[in-house]
Amino acid sequence: VKFELIDPIAWESITQLIDTEFGSGVTKSLLGNRAPIMISMNNTQILYAIPVDWMSILMERGESLDIQFLGKELGFSEKGRFRLSLHILSEVAKMTNSFILVSKQGADAFTYGRSIIRESVLELNSTLVRGQRVLVINEDRECLGIAALSVDAAKLNRLGSERLVAKNLVDIGWFIRRLG
Amino acid sequence: MAGKELRQRAKELAKEHGYLQYMIERYLSLWGEEDTLRFIEACEQPIRTAIRVNTLKMSSDLLIPRLQKKIVTLEKVPWLDDCFQADFNGSSPGALLEHMLGFYYVQGVPSMTVVSVLDPQPGDTVLDLAAAPGGKTTHIAQMMENEGLVIALEQDRQRMTSLRSNIIRCGVTNTMVIRGDARKLEDLPVQPDKILLDAPCSGEGLIPLDSTRKTSKTMADVRFCATREDEMLEAAVNILAEGGTMVYSTCSIAPEENEYVVDDILKRHPEMYIVEISAEFGSPGYSEPYGIKLNESLKLARRFLPHLHRTEGFFICKMKKKERTA
Repeated sequence: VKFELIDPIAWESITQLIDTEFGSGVTKSLLGNRAPIMISMNNTQILYAIPVDWMSILMERGESLDIQFLGKELGFSEKGRFRLSLHILSEVAKMTNSFILVSKQGADAFTYGRSIIRESVLELNSTLVRGQRVLVINEDRECLGIAALSVDAAKLNRLGSERLVAKNLVDIGWFIRRLG
Repeated sequence: MAGKELRQRAKELAKEHGYLQYMIERYLSLWGEEDTLRFIEACEQPIRTAIRVNTLKMSSDLLIPRLQKKIVTLEKVPWLDDCFQADFNGSSPGALLEHMLGFYYVQGVPSMTVVSVLDPQPGDTVLDLAAAPGGKTTHIAQMMENEGLVIALEQDRQRMTSLRSNIIRCGVTNTMVIRGDARKLEDLPVQPDKILLDAPCSGEGLIPLDSTRKTSKTMADVRFCATREDEMLEAAVNILAEGGTMVYSTCSIAPEENEYVVDDILKRHPEMYIVEISAEFGSPGYSEPYGIKLNESLKLARRFLPHLHRTEGFFICKMKKKERTA
């Protein structure tokens, strides 16, 4: 495990990635008055936001500590691809229009790792396009995970009820599937 | 009961109820026959499931009706905020959507009580030793309203996964998780105001939850655990800030792992003293177990016992470190 400050160019690229998909200024709001820091673990780089007063602790003793987790986990890069962490999804949900609202049945299926089909979709912003990542929200406006749109939202009404609309990328059922 | 008679009776009871003889001998010495039989009987009864509402994500007022709609019966634990005995009526407590969303944590009542006794406050620096799977870490962060710093130390690589996962699920953002040995704290970057040492133990209090514990640990295992607990507590005392608070707990009912360990620490560290626990629960710690005189203030510690409190067995002791006078 190795931790490092994130360089401005890498941070800019992550900011652009998150903001493009979830809205301008979302990354800045997520960071708040915290500082971004990266931990490399095996082949994964995990991005955290930590209170600035922790920086002196890390600078002074960080090298001698086997740090496994720090503050707020923003996401991780694996094989060159950045993914948002489940840790911050409920926070992102309050700031974005990139979401898909699903029925109870769709929500239940999603938390079992299934993707979203047309008949489960209750609301989807028509400007969203294929490939776009969206938060999956239930009828109580709770965030259940992230999915990637398989079609342009504008074409939603042309789809049959069984057609795939969004592919499950990560869902909160992971907590159970991972830990049993 | 005289020594020979006690051993003979212990042998009979151990055979009848499937325990190792040394365990029953100790129970008879500590409690006498009537309470030993009550203990044995209580250990055959299931322990009620309990949950803690995670107020970082949800209030009790909103969660209770929501769970009641799912036919979950809840009964408040009198001495704890936001903690309930819960009957899930056949559902798995971990499988409900509200659990996945981090709205509650399934946790034993004694474990919740430990954190409440520590009483972490927003802005504190708290060290949680042997932290996985994270029930107490997430509870500490909850009481601190995600402000200040929690250092969660865990040595076991496998258990680290559950610790990280529970921190994420519960929305905890003020925690630094470090892999390390709780007996070697000299490299830690802070002097904590509060330390929770819920020490890895022989688990003698968990017989109601795991009947294999009746035969799985020998007296040598108990002694091994006691030595390790002593080393951990020693390290924790050394790093605790002056004026700081320490809570030592185990899920063992063995005085050898509890009162004896604390008594030794009090002898070696005159700057440490036991303080009264204000909440009303459990029964007093032992100051004279097996007739051996220990520090009188150990009566201020608390014990949960299956036959008296219908929970798993647990020991909780709250201590403070004196401030050095100029």
